[in-house]
This record gives sequence, structure tokens and C-alpha cells, in this order.
Amino acid sequence: MPNMKNIKPYPTEEEQPPIKTLNEVDFSATYSYADYMRFEFEERLELIKGYIFKMSPAPSRIHQKISGRIYVPIYNALNGHKCEVYSAPFDVRLAKKTQEDKEVFTVVQPDIVVVCDQTKLDKRGCIGAPDIVVEILSPGNNKKELINKYEVYEEAGVKEYWIVSPSEKTFFRYILDGNGKFQPTKLLTEGEVVTTTIIPGFKLVLEEVFKD
Amino acid sequence: MKNIKPYPTEEEQPPIKTLNEVDFGATYSYADYMRFEFEERLEIIKGHLFKMSPAPSRIHQGILANIFVPIYNILKGKPCHVYCAPFDVRLAKKSVNDKEVFTVVQPDIVVICDQTKLDKRGCIGAPDIVVEILSPGNNKKELINKYEVYEEAGVKEYWIVSPSEKTFFRYILDDNGKFQPTKLLTEGEVVTTTIISGLKLILDEVFQD
Repeated sequence: MPNMKNIKPYPTEEEQPPIKTLNEVDFSATYSYADYMRFEFEERLELIKGYIFKMSPAPSRIHQKISGRIYVPIYNALNGHKCEVYSAPFDVRLAKKTQEDKEVFTVVQPDIVVVCDQTKLDKRGCIGAPDIVVEILSPGNNKKELINKYEVYEEAGVKEYWIVSPSEKTFFRYILDGNGKFQPTKLLTEGEVVTTTIIPGFKLVLEEVFKD
Repeated sequence: MKNIKPYPTEEEQPPIKTLNEVDFGATYSYADYMRFEFEERLEIIKGHLFKMSPAPSRIHQGILANIFVPIYNILKGKPCHVYCAPFDVRLAKKSVNDKEVFTVVQPDIVVICDQTKLDKRGCIGAPDIVVEILSPGNNKKELINKYEVYEEAGVKEYWIVSPSEKTFFRYILDDNGKFQPTKLLTEGEVVTTTIISGLKLILDEVFQD
């Protein structure tokens, strides 16, 4: 009979093994933030209602340029203000019942978030709804942003969801109403200016966001 | 003196033969527009001239067909008609007299349910549905200038399609004559409208390559 002391026991539910490669991930299974924390591979994934969504490996130059042109004016306007702005990669956890890692089934990395409630911030990112979420669309498939994230942002209570289209140079915004439902607003473009009640004094000049 | 052509009266203005003769800072009416004899396509919005892109892209035309054909098929035997560009839509404020019409646009697709608005030259008055397919780059004309005149004229639904990001956006005119924005749609979603009963525009098919 071999010595049992050196045999590593099968991990308990509490101490799951790391997931070292993307191949070990089952895209039809349901994952929590606790599982997400076990991912040790390079590829970026998001969890929406437990389902895994791939992120594009590296955003395009135009995407990053526009991200900067939205992030910096917000950052400047927030100087001395209680809200904070972060840009991706930055984990936002949206919990339904408890904030326990195993009970968190939505973990997203929006392009830009503004968080005004400091208690939502911890070492790992943000837990709970940001006040503003900005997503910059990519050419091609945008189902994740326009269908899946739309749902979870509305459910979580994100106050404003900004959607930016670099190719057609449009800026679109949902504003959460008093009933907790997203209300669409006018489709904006160059020549127009965005302001928001969340950041007093902030003016986003779309001509500057989209200039070549 | 008989052979000297008199300077034209206001009633018989000379033709405008080249784009160079056009003054982009001046105000033009539909009567002036009818004098344009050059190839380039222009639109007039509140008297101001706007250039149109010389030829739409292949993707643009593909999406146009994917929207036009389902509408065309469902409208067979119904009072509404569908047209696609080039097709002049005149939006008049006061009278329908050519000299008093200061907005003439060529939307990508229009649906018109009131036959009295149709004449040999196109449509006079607001279509029920206007569809504009955006191009990469500047879309100010569609999103600012045309938005205004379509709302003022009473277009019931203004559809705006973005080929690159594959999005479908729609304004619906409310009872106060104001455009109300609606959810930004994409592949996987289906568009229906009270104007064309039975129409189901499947966005997966609209945007398929």
C-alpha cells in the first residue's frame, strides 16, 4: 500500500484548480466571478449572466484614439470631484443577489466607466453599477454591447450608457429613467455637444472626439 | 434687334450647366434645382445645397437591397409604395409651388402611403418612412439637417442604418409631431412597424455579407 500522505487530494469546492489555457474553458457552461479569478491565460473574456464572451485581442488604433478623447475630458472635468473614471482593462462586477465571488455572474470590461460611489471600488475594480458606462463599437458584430450588455447595464442600474460608433461618427446614449428603464436619446454626431447631469461642467465636443 | 436673346425674366431662368456655376453660400429652391443640368447629385435642405457622394459603396447598395426588397414584397397590393434613390422628395413649408420649395432630398428608401403625394417628378410632402444608410465618416447631413426637416415635415418613421457597426436606429413621430428615439438594434433583432403590417425586417439578413 503506497504512502497516502503525498497524494494530492481532489480539490474541494472551495479550492478549485487554476484554468491555465483557453481550451479548458467550456463556452456553453456557466461561470462565476470565482471561476473567472481562476483564469490564468492571456486572452480577455467577459462574463454576462454566467456566459462567457470573448473580447477582441487588441482594440484598433482608432478605437483607442477615440477612447482617449472621451476619457481625458472626463478625467479633467472630474478634478476635485467625488466621481472617478477608469478605462479598460478594468473589471466591473454586477451582482444580483450577494457580492460573494461565487454569486457574481456578470464581469465586464467596459471601455470607460465613471463611478461616483467610492464604496463600489475595491482593489479588484468595481462591484456594482457604475454611473456611466461607455462602449466604443467595433466594425462588425456588436450584439454583445447592444443586446447582452444593454440588458445587464439596465438591470444593474447604470445611469447612462454611452455607445460610440467610430466608423459612422455617431454618439448614442441611454439614460435610466425613474422606473429603472433605459430611455434612448437622439443620435448625435459631429457638430453636437454632450453634457450630463452626472458630471457638472463637463462638455464633450463631438467634433473633437471624431476628428481624423 | 429681333435675334438678341433678352435677359431671362424671373419666370424663365437659364439652365445651370456645370457645378462651378453653383454658389454654395446662396439659397436655392426646387425651381432652381430643376435648372441644374450637370451630372453631380445635390440635395437642398432649407435652401442650402449639400453634395451627395458620387457613387454609394457596394456594402451600401447591398444593405439597401436587403431593406428595399422585403418592403417591396410585402407592399404588393397595398396602398403604400416604396421607392429607392435616386428619387426626389420635396418638402414644402408654405405652398407646393416650385419656387417656394426649399427642401429637395434623395433618401435611400422612402415608403409613401398617400398616393396624392406622388407625381411624375417624385414625391411632394412627407413620406411615411424614410430610410438613410450612413456612410463612413461625416454624417452630419443625415443626423442633423435631415433629422430636422423630416421631423418638421411629419415623416412618421425615420430609419438610420449603420453598415460598419451593423446597427439599426429609428425615430418614431409622436402625437406632438416630435421624433422619439428608440432602442439601438443590431443583428439578432427584428424590426416591425405599424405602417406596414406584416413586415418583419430580420436584421441578421439585412447585415449579412
